[in-house]
Amino acid sequence: MWLPVVGLMVGIVLGFLFSVEIPLGYVKYTAIAILAAIDTVLGGVRAQIEERFDLPVFLSGFLVNAAFAALLAGIGDLLGLDIYLGAVIAFSIRIFDNVGFIRRDVIMQYRKGGR
Amino acid sequence: MADPSLRRALPSPVARWQVGLAGVLALVGFLTVTQIRTEVLIKRTLRLPSSQLEELGFMLREQERHRAGLEAQVGDLRNRLAEYEKAAAEGRTAVARLNRELQETRTLVGLTALEGPGVVVELNDSTRPPTPGEDPNKTILHYTDIAAVVAELWAAGAEAVALNGERVVSSTGITCVGTTILCNTKRMAPPYVIKAIGDPAGLARYLRRPGGVLELLAAFDFPVRVVPMARVDVPPYRGTFRFEYAEVSEKE
Repeated sequence: MWLPVVGLMVGIVLGFLFSVEIPLGYVKYTAIAILAAIDTVLGGVRAQIEERFDLPVFLSGFLVNAAFAALLAGIGDLLGLDIYLGAVIAFSIRIFDNVGFIRRDVIMQYRKGGR
Repeated sequence: MADPSLRRALPSPVARWQVGLAGVLALVGFLTVTQIRTEVLIKRTLRLPSSQLEELGFMLREQERHRAGLEAQVGDLRNRLAEYEKAAAEGRTAVARLNRELQETRTLVGLTALEGPGVVVELNDSTRPPTPGEDPNKTILHYTDIAAVVAELWAAGAEAVALNGERVVSSTGITCVGTTILCNTKRMAPPYVIKAIGDPAGLARYLRRPGGVLELLAAFDFPVRVVPMARVDVPPYRGTFRFEYAEVSEKE
């Protein structure tokens, strides 16, 4: 269980070490990428708890979701429509969904273990 | 998964999901930190969240276009101002030149009062009473006498001549209507005072020369006086110039 926490720490440290400046025009895209990553992480945790974790599915889900969200945002920019908000909402809903499932799974497991 | 060697090379399934989560979480951490730092930077420098950046960019573009338009307008207005100034300067000089020319022309034609050194010629009918049987015409001045004196003044180099306050101009005729002399449109009676601007000594010498009109008049007992003056006033021509038949010739 410690490896994901270490990964998060490493990422934070890297972010502080390499002070990468995001170009102002791409701030929106990185925000979506962050949302996609969080969504993926929670989905992975849920899958792991439900014991159906698949690394290719996990990674491809992250990459494809992030890429598609970025694509939508780009198209939205072209159309003058804030489609990226749709991606934001979708990811947010998924995040809450996953949080809910994880919560339920954890409670179920706790009950199972408690019994 | 079927290949045992591959399975051995890879970490256990527990470690695999941990590695995957760790990788993505590292990305999340990195991106979040970067994003937050960028956001803080934006807020500090621009004092508004990045979600309003597009609005700001739009406003900037709008303002830039507006500014470009204003700059073009400024350039245009400057050019026009320069043109106006040039035109005004030219117009002023042109008007001034025209006005000067007009004044000179008016002076040459005789529409302005003039003053300067000259002579005053006074003529009057003969004081001698006509002898019985003598033609009374011999004791009164005729328009020919006056015209002759004026002609002599012109010949002597007079620059401006006036007869009894009537300016003698290019269209002036000296004639007689009955017993009175007509100059321009004014009837005149003796005494006749002819004022002329020019060299006083020269004019007087020419008028008094032997064989001149004045000598002839004096010989017939007409009172004749030639007075050189340091200053003679000549009035302007008050009549009109009319060209009913004459046209400006293109031949010269």
